[in-house]
Amino acid sequence: MTVLADPALAADARRERRFFLSLSLPALFIVGLAAILPILWIIRQSFLTTAGEYTVGNYEKVLSSGLTWSALVTTLELSLATLAICILLGTPLALALASARPRVANLLMAFVMLPLWTSILVRTYGWLVLLRRDGLINSALTGSGLTAEPLPLVYNFTGTLIGMVHYMLPLFLLPVYAAMRDIDANLVRASASMGATLGQTIRTVILPLSAGGIFSGSIIVFIYTIGFFITPAVLGGGKVNPLSTRIERTLSTFQDWGSASVLGILLLILMALVGMMFLAARRLIAGHKVDTAHA
Amino acid sequence: MSWLRISLAAIAATVALPVSAQTVTITTAGGDYGNAIKEAMWAPAAKELGYDVREETQSDGLAALKMQVTSGAVSTDIIHLGSPEGAQAAAQSLLEPLDYKIIDPKSVPDGAKSDYCYPFDSYGTVMSWNTKTYGENPPKTWAEFWDVAKFPGRRALRANAQDLIEIALLSDGVAPADVYPVLSTPEGLDRAIKRLEAIKPNVSVWWTSGAQSAQLLKDGEADLLVTWNGRAQTVKADGGTVDYTFKGSVIGTDCLAVPKGAPNKEAAMKLIAAMTQPARVAKLTDFIAYGPVNPAGYEGGLIPKDRLKTLATAPENAGTSVFSNAGWWVKNGEVAQKAFDEMMNR
Repeated sequence: MTVLADPALAADARRERRFFLSLSLPALFIVGLAAILPILWIIRQSFLTTAGEYTVGNYEKVLSSGLTWSALVTTLELSLATLAICILLGTPLALALASARPRVANLLMAFVMLPLWTSILVRTYGWLVLLRRDGLINSALTGSGLTAEPLPLVYNFTGTLIGMVHYMLPLFLLPVYAAMRDIDANLVRASASMGATLGQTIRTVILPLSAGGIFSGSIIVFIYTIGFFITPAVLGGGKVNPLSTRIERTLSTFQDWGSASVLGILLLILMALVGMMFLAARRLIAGHKVDTAHA
Repeated sequence: MSWLRISLAAIAATVALPVSAQTVTITTAGGDYGNAIKEAMWAPAAKELGYDVREETQSDGLAALKMQVTSGAVSTDIIHLGSPEGAQAAAQSLLEPLDYKIIDPKSVPDGAKSDYCYPFDSYGTVMSWNTKTYGENPPKTWAEFWDVAKFPGRRALRANAQDLIEIALLSDGVAPADVYPVLSTPEGLDRAIKRLEAIKPNVSVWWTSGAQSAQLLKDGEADLLVTWNGRAQTVKADGGTVDYTFKGSVIGTDCLAVPKGAPNKEAAMKLIAAMTQPARVAKLTDFIAYGPVNPAGYEGGLIPKDRLKTLATAPENAGTSVFSNAGWWVKNGEVAQKAFDEMMNR
């Protein structure tokens, strides 16, 4: 913060800050109404029996159940696998987009964005048509003699992962692409002129400078996948049961709002933990970068 | 001001009507099914009794019933529920006991009897298969459904313990009449869960909705399925390479009940008795493939012969089936579902 010598100027700055804050009030109001209140309601619900008395029984029940922990493990497996594939596929794709000529880049970008504009349900059922036993992919594989038997591509972890990556890839790509596009081309040229190979340039110039974008993309993907419901429910065939499907089942089969609320809170805590881990890691890397810059 | 006079007259007429006739309010799920119940059952019965029947529709009957009774504002006299919900409602004392002096107690077979919710129609949870895979020689019993060496193929089961627990015991050689006695012993549920665990490696899909099971059948994604007779029949009628059998099916029923504190209790009992006369529950099959629970509905050619094959409770399909015991599920449902979920996640 700069110290302003003139008190009139300081008052102006204060007024300005207050004005900008007031502009955000409608948004804050909506967030409060649509996010905070329901969360408070869920927290209250998690301490109630079906008869409406206060209890910690729901927590005991949920935390002592093996089903909760196996759902937690599935959630993490699915999220980490989705994120890993998004990074492996998305980073080179972002690099290609960022280094392509503008017209080509725009065209490619349209292809990337197209799935984002399609309903998630339509896309998920679309994958069913492609991946099922008599689906297009298996018909092509067995028809051409590449495989004797249709491959088990859907109603399992593989199918769920395919659907998840398809949904998450554009969300990962956008921040990474933005970060890479903003890299000064002169830095890349400088690195090349000083004899760096392409691999070295990518490793020492491009990746460190786009690390922020990769981090943002990773947070978005991870937070989204942790609570994702439709894809595992449709493509998992009952065999992929993360926390989200566990919550649905607790409500529909057991009509147990208390336990479902506990599971929801568990999901929330998981998201908060992961978010904090990412932020801490990002600060660490940013600090490291400053250090090397000074050295 | 003539419009005012006309509307006043209209209001007077609607107010005056109930005085001239006994009114009864019935709540159904609505849609095609609700309409079938109206056309075949309560409309003709109301005409016969001279009642003025008002219809309300609710997609979640149990929730609506609970709200009306607990808030003390009961507006419906008869409510249409699934039998497990009926038993649940009875356990929560939301229902009046049925008056079996007005309703004929002999019209319900022993396995389906209820003191609170009168079962009137039924559907079966059945074995269904792809005729391309098995041709003329499909599995005929649940034991054969479990025999993956003799009948290789991909299975699909519902991701819910209901009906599957019963089917698992049937596949293990338990006689239909012994299913609930066995399930009521401490080892009974374990035995059923172990049996399901044995077939689990061959289950390619655990389906969650009836529509999904029909799709799996139609696409040939699974060769051998457990599904509801209505779904299998629809796929078959649409030309799918599919067939099904009622042998060993688990029969579920829908029922009619009178909410606790209903305003026209006695008239409601009379209407239930009249609307479930054999000819009327038989007539229901004109609209939907849900057969009468009352055996008399199948007598005297009330239902055309070729349609009998499509009904779960038709005499030619009876004998090997189990009536789903709503009382058992109300008492043990949560334990059974949890054991089932643990089996699925192992």
